[in-house]
Amino acid sequence: MKSITFESISKQYNKRPVVRDFSLDVGEGERLVIFGPSGCGKTTILRLAAGLVMPDRGRIFIGERLVAAEGRNIVSPEGRQVGMVFQDLALWPHLTVRGNVEFGLKVQGVSSSQRRQRIADMLRLVQMDSRMDAKPAQLSGGEQQRVALARALVLQPQVLLMDEPLSSLDYELSVALRQEILRLHHEIGFTLLYVTHDREEAAQIGNRVVVLRHGMVVKR
Amino acid sequence: MVKYVTLVLVVVLLIVAGLLPVLAMLAQSIIADGRLSLDAYATVLRSRNQWALLWHSIALSSLTTVMATAIGMPLGVLLGKTDLPFRRAFLVLFTIPLLIPPYIMAVAWFHVLGRGKLVARLCGDAVAAVTSDLLFGLPGCVLVLSSVFMPVVMLLTMAFLKTVNPRLEEAGRNMTGWWGVLKGITVPLILPGVLLSALLTFLLTLGEFGVPHYLRFNVYPAETFSQFSAFYDFRAATAGAMPLAAITLAALVVERTCLRRRTYEIQLASQAGEILSVPLGRFRGLCLLLVTMLCLLVVILPLLILLAAASSLGAYWQALTQAGDSLVRSLLYAGTAASILTIVGFFAGYLIHYQALPFWLTIDSLTIFLFALPSTVIGVGLILLWNRPATNFIYATPIVIMCGLLAQYCAITSRITASTLTEIPASMDEAAQMVGAGWVRRVACITAPLAKKGLLAGWVVAFIFCLRDMGISMMVYPPGLDTLPVRTFTLMANGPTDLIAALCMIMVLGALTPLGILALVFKGSRFRA
Amino acid sequence: MNTCRQRILSAVAVLALLWSGCAKRQTPASQEVVVYTSEDQVFSEPILKDFERDTGIKVKTVFDTEESKSTGVMNRLIAEQNNPQADVFWANEPIRAEVLRQKGIAAAYRSPQAEGIPDVHKDPDGYWTGFSARARVLVVNKRVQEKPTTIFAYADPPQKGKSVIANPLFGTTTVQMAALFTVWGENRAKAFMEAMKTNKVGISTSNGESTDFVAAGQYDFSLVDSDDAVSRMRQGKPIEMVYPDQGQDDAGCLIVPNTAVLIKGARHPENARKLIDYLLSKETERKLAFADCAQIPLHSGVETPAEIKPIEAIKVMKLDYSAVAAKMQEIQPYLKEWVGF
Repeated sequence: MKSITFESISKQYNKRPVVRDFSLDVGEGERLVIFGPSGCGKTTILRLAAGLVMPDRGRIFIGERLVAAEGRNIVSPEGRQVGMVFQDLALWPHLTVRGNVEFGLKVQGVSSSQRRQRIADMLRLVQMDSRMDAKPAQLSGGEQQRVALARALVLQPQVLLMDEPLSSLDYELSVALRQEILRLHHEIGFTLLYVTHDREEAAQIGNRVVVLRHGMVVKR
Repeated sequence: MVKYVTLVLVVVLLIVAGLLPVLAMLAQSIIADGRLSLDAYATVLRSRNQWALLWHSIALSSLTTVMATAIGMPLGVLLGKTDLPFRRAFLVLFTIPLLIPPYIMAVAWFHVLGRGKLVARLCGDAVAAVTSDLLFGLPGCVLVLSSVFMPVVMLLTMAFLKTVNPRLEEAGRNMTGWWGVLKGITVPLILPGVLLSALLTFLLTLGEFGVPHYLRFNVYPAETFSQFSAFYDFRAATAGAMPLAAITLAALVVERTCLRRRTYEIQLASQAGEILSVPLGRFRGLCLLLVTMLCLLVVILPLLILLAAASSLGAYWQALTQAGDSLVRSLLYAGTAASILTIVGFFAGYLIHYQALPFWLTIDSLTIFLFALPSTVIGVGLILLWNRPATNFIYATPIVIMCGLLAQYCAITSRITASTLTEIPASMDEAAQMVGAGWVRRVACITAPLAKKGLLAGWVVAFIFCLRDMGISMMVYPPGLDTLPVRTFTLMANGPTDLIAALCMIMVLGALTPLGILALVFKGSRFRA
Repeated sequence: MNTCRQRILSAVAVLALLWSGCAKRQTPASQEVVVYTSEDQVFSEPILKDFERDTGIKVKTVFDTEESKSTGVMNRLIAEQNNPQADVFWANEPIRAEVLRQKGIAAAYRSPQAEGIPDVHKDPDGYWTGFSARARVLVVNKRVQEKPTTIFAYADPPQKGKSVIANPLFGTTTVQMAALFTVWGENRAKAFMEAMKTNKVGISTSNGESTDFVAAGQYDFSLVDSDDAVSRMRQGKPIEMVYPDQGQDDAGCLIVPNTAVLIKGARHPENARKLIDYLLSKETERKLAFADCAQIPLHSGVETPAEIKPIEAIKVMKLDYSAVAAKMQEIQPYLKEWVGF
């Protein structure tokens, strides 16, 4: 598990400030939720941590390692060893469930026998072991969500970023999956940075909540 | 690092294959007797006649584009998105005119509409006199070229319809009927593809000389052509081509202005390629009748004229024995060139779509500029650049043809790729980045597979254009290694009519193979009412 | 391996197989000759194949299209002049051969087979030699009652809108116009051309097309090459051929011989000379006379079919081809304006 540190991060798009002087420490193993309305900059903060965008000002650390500074990514997204679950899940439609989860393991050069074991274990953990050969289009929303989680967690990331992963699900399913996330966090252990606009979800998932408005922290 | 090296290499390849030959021509055009001289350009700009010809070309291109788009887009929607019967058969039939050299289509139309021809036999000499007079002039040119290039609009419309997320249309259906959805949601979403096809049609017509020449409508490409053919003046011919380049750039600006504010984050349709089918209901019979009549008019009628001329098996046998080797070469060159074009076009399109290098706009403009240039300019440029003892391994082999085809047609595959990439959400690539995949693996395992159908459509369109190419091939084919279109035209001079017609039919049949592939691509779409 | 990758690899394998199949075994340089020809492929190819069979020398050919369909072999020859790929140029008329001489692309070669060919059909310095000629003839639709016998019919008011001519910027029609300018002088020739325009002459893309238009009845007559006329007549089209201007005071009809040119810097000069000798032979002239092109032998005593008039029986326009070549280049701008380009 690693911590995440944001130091005075600012970011603007087309001269419109999206994140302003944002500073935050996420402790090792912490479940920190960034809560705020749509357009407040919470997804941008997540993408900054992931390395998918670069800060205009400020610095970002993952653990002790400086990964981004003003105007540049010092460590590329693929080098940060950070898992991410996207809002649209971004499951690769041309790959099966097994293929989606296996992809990252192949990239890391894990042997085929180890891959088989880890995929089976992870999919069992998310209760998707019976659907290994299905394509994402054949899965329900909740099932797709679990596969996205499995894909991120199978690589044993120290940090997991989740961008409103439950926003498109119905209430009951959302509640069930929140429990799932908490269970996985307890069993595997990782630092979680979670973004949502749902108050109840924020309260349930996070052991600390930060409220964001217009790119600035208004409440911790 | 690998990403930039790869993209820069692609740019270098485009420059070497396409830009350098043109620069060789440009250099020659501004040097006279060892001095810098813009005389050739001044002569072109001063000539009032050239401005009149330019106006003719713009008028012809504009009218052809409007007609081809006005017919091709609704036809593409009917064949790609409704329950019209016999859709696949119509798809194949309507594509055939694109496979036949436009000049031969013009001759076929003469046999329909000319004095003493089919119309005269059916409706009398007075009517034939009118149709003949209309054929030999601007209306006839528009008719012939629209029928030849309309398939470009139709095919691209069908390809882009596959990119529309059915959920968006379903959301619209909550509020309005299918007509409202098509007008307000579907068509605006496929506008980039339609504009691309309109741009290609405009440029193809702009550079067309054979059909207007046959139909006695003087157009601007005659300037370059006559400078080459009559005056053997390469300087003047190159200078004469530059106004076409200027018009091309203007057309590009118009296209970009129309598209600038439309950034489509089109969600990927389900991986089964689901398309919502529009039920035609009580209009089904009427639509079938209209499409059938259109098909009879622009495809069957001229095709029957050709078939009638090549009605004996003997003609086909003679065609195969006289040109069988050139047919094999044509298929081989076209297949190879299309594959190279798809790969290079993929990376060029990637570069353009993601603006991955600072000069991405220049690369896009360069490919369009080369597409619009008369093939003779590129051809002579290739000769000037590569015809040296040290580079004989390029010039004296089919490699030089590949260079020419790459230069002339890269715009097609790069633009199709760029448009295809707009369909792929950025999160697909980002998710792969987050699991540690480098650029090469992401492109090979994520981007390219997701763009598969667009790449295949691009391959097929590139294959068709390379197969029917005559301009580049005629200029640079190594002695003894001609292609089928070249052989068809060289045999046309006093060759028996039935032989020429048979050669055209063989070319059509030979090109139908990729159409079969295209049909399979669309077969993958699950239609849902 | 996934299916998609399998398919792509299969396609690459098929392409590779086809390339290996198509890759010709390299012929030793001593056994080949490269010829560019503007004589119609249907007529020239059989002669070249016979040469291949008779000598064992492989012939690699670049054929030409009709003059207005592509910019063809002349531009290749000119563009390639610093590193010529062709050994021989078989031109279908002498004027382009003369242009090559003037541009320094031709090399002198006096073939022994040229003996017997009248000097008027040869370059005095041996840069090109004429053989197997066509005549510029009037092709007339059979339904026409009063057949024209002179090219002045183009300017005859009763013939308004009834005639067609191939684009005079290209091919043998350019030669025709240049010949008229040379023989008549500029004023008379321009007056004739303007009269043609006033008489609403149609402009086609080629002599073959003109012949087809006349055969179809679209027009009454046209000035074309004799091979275009004969080939359609043998196809049973309803046309007749008239040798124009054969009267005592008339200028005569233009004769356009094929020409053989040795290219300067040819890679296979020995084989090139052998090919030129073959082309200029009586036997080749006999074959071309009996072919559908029905070309007129320039050697005397060559067997010809009945429908071909021997050269001695035709009143021929008297010309200096090098003067015509020079005139052709001079009048091109006028012709361009006349056509409307």
